[in-house]
Amino acid sequence: MTAETETTPAVRERSRARASAALGLLMIVGAVTVLVDAAGLRRSDDAMGPAAAPVLIGVLLGVIGAGLVFQARGVVRTPPLADGHGRRLWRLAALVGVLVAFALVLPFLGYVVSSAGLFTGAALLLGAPRPARVAAYGWTVAVLAFLVFDRLIGLTLPTGPWGF
Amino acid sequence: MDALLTGFTDALTPTNLLWALIGVTIGTAVGVLPGIGPALTVALLLPITFRLEPAAALIMFAGIYYGGMYGGSTTSILLNTPGESASVVTALEGNQMARAGRGAAALATAAIGSFVAGTIGTIALTVAAPVVADIAVGFGPPEYVALMAVAFVTVSALLGPSLLKGAASLVIGAAIGLIGIDTLTGQPRLAFGVASLLDGVDVVIVVVALFALGEAFSHVVAGTGGARVEPVRGAAVLSRADFRRSWPAWLRGTALGFPIGSLPAGGAEVPTFLSYGLERRLSKHREEFGHGAIEGVAGPEAANNAAAAGVLVPLLTIGLPTSATAAVLLAAFQSYGIQPGPQLFTESGDLLWALIASLYIGNVLLLVLNLPLIGVWTRLLTIPAHSIYAGVLVFACLGAFAAGGTIADLLILTGLGLVGLLMRQADVPAAPAVVGLILAPLAEQQLRRALALSDGDWTILVSGPLTVSLWIVAVLALAAPWVMSAYRRRLAAAGRAADRETA
Repeated sequence: MTAETETTPAVRERSRARASAALGLLMIVGAVTVLVDAAGLRRSDDAMGPAAAPVLIGVLLGVIGAGLVFQARGVVRTPPLADGHGRRLWRLAALVGVLVAFALVLPFLGYVVSSAGLFTGAALLLGAPRPARVAAYGWTVAVLAFLVFDRLIGLTLPTGPWGF
Repeated sequence: MDALLTGFTDALTPTNLLWALIGVTIGTAVGVLPGIGPALTVALLLPITFRLEPAAALIMFAGIYYGGMYGGSTTSILLNTPGESASVVTALEGNQMARAGRGAAALATAAIGSFVAGTIGTIALTVAAPVVADIAVGFGPPEYVALMAVAFVTVSALLGPSLLKGAASLVIGAAIGLIGIDTLTGQPRLAFGVASLLDGVDVVIVVVALFALGEAFSHVVAGTGGARVEPVRGAAVLSRADFRRSWPAWLRGTALGFPIGSLPAGGAEVPTFLSYGLERRLSKHREEFGHGAIEGVAGPEAANNAAAAGVLVPLLTIGLPTSATAAVLLAAFQSYGIQPGPQLFTESGDLLWALIASLYIGNVLLLVLNLPLIGVWTRLLTIPAHSIYAGVLVFACLGAFAAGGTIADLLILTGLGLVGLLMRQADVPAAPAVVGLILAPLAEQQLRRALALSDGDWTILVSGPLTVSLWIVAVLALAAPWVMSAYRRRLAAAGRAADRETA
């Protein structure tokens, strides 16, 4: 199932190094956020105030993030990835868009319509052929989930103006 | 013993048996889906149990837990895609057996081995947990801090390819754990004025984001959504010869798995590796290792399941989760009104014994249900990946919404899913992050208690022989990744040598 389209070890090594570097940078950004937030906390008289744990974790985030960037530095300075990579990143962005849209329309359109849309959008972006059939699956999954979780189990799921 | 019998009478009502049966069935059905390990299975299915009364919820959840574990092994054997690091070894020989047309035997030895190990493990849990709880009653905050230090180091050292990557994951989890109201001073930390961040990020959201969204996103990026697999045919039966080779391996795997799993250290993976090594050394059919030796499936699979029962010892008696699955279990128990810790046995003894009885029942049901139904489960594997992951996303969002209840929770889920993708692509394991998310706030709390007891004197942390030895263990465990990677290299080299002989 994990049969990748880029299988040469060098390509995989490079994309792993890129991801490591990106994760390291993200951790450094996180470190700054955590430390700035910690600096804004009111002090207390306790031996270990509210800022002590955030400062420790912030420093560790920064140090380990820098470590990841450092480890990946050599491999990243190589030519860009092959064709097709850009298109897949667009697909990823579109999938994130579908998820955000699901979150935003959920209170207005209700669970069934939003989930059917989420399933259909995600399946198509993951490469499903035959959109009509995928949409039918999406409606089935959404209706079944609504019946089981809302009607049978009693979780209150959001409903649209049409009551589901 | 009386308490356990009462537990059985609580658990064995027809309604509860029905819940257990449903739990085992959907646990297996979800666990079988490729890329979904036990931690994600229990996180995704947790909302189903929310509205049940505690005893029914527990028994259903025990079914889901065991079903998810077994479903995960099925996928590792048939597809060679282990959903968690503890089934990597099962996949090693199991997939070779499946390719050689002996998939049914591999699944059968895994199922019966899981049953044997799970049953012995649960008996050992029944005996050991009250004893450990008695000892743990005497633990003060310094002991807890030292125990957690051991857990932090071992989890980052053992659950990833390197200490740096394991630690990166742990610290990311710990940073997410900071979010919310500080218990001592009541100030919000890292909440940025978002109301739903004030009570922190739910562990279900983090697990679902890192495991499910990370997996779905990486299929989009890799363009592998169209992949399909061919199912194995035939019923799961063990020939007499297979049985003779399997049973000693089950028992040895159990003997390794339970004690190591019950240590307050991260390591359901370690006993599986040890068991594999042991079976290869003892086997009369050593030449078959690398091509599908049944002992190589039976032993590690038993070790994995016994360790899963063992992990419940520190979880129930000390409140210390040492695997991603255990972290979700902790959240589930708390939602049922069970607060794990040394007081658990005295305070909510009835529910606890109902839980332990549920584990026995779940184990039996799993065996009864799965041996005849293996064909059905393997058919699930033929669903194309794009539909599996679209469905997983729908249930991931449902789970996150059920856990948090706001739109912000869904947006947090998506954001953390992208972090999960990055971690997956960087080969950074997700399990330490889940453990860090749960343990880091607990560690902070205990550290503060310890310092309050000693008026700010840090030497209280190394005040007794137990704390000193735990700290020494934590420091020694820093060397574990080198030992482990040397061991893995030896296993891999042996596998390659075997491949060359056939070629």
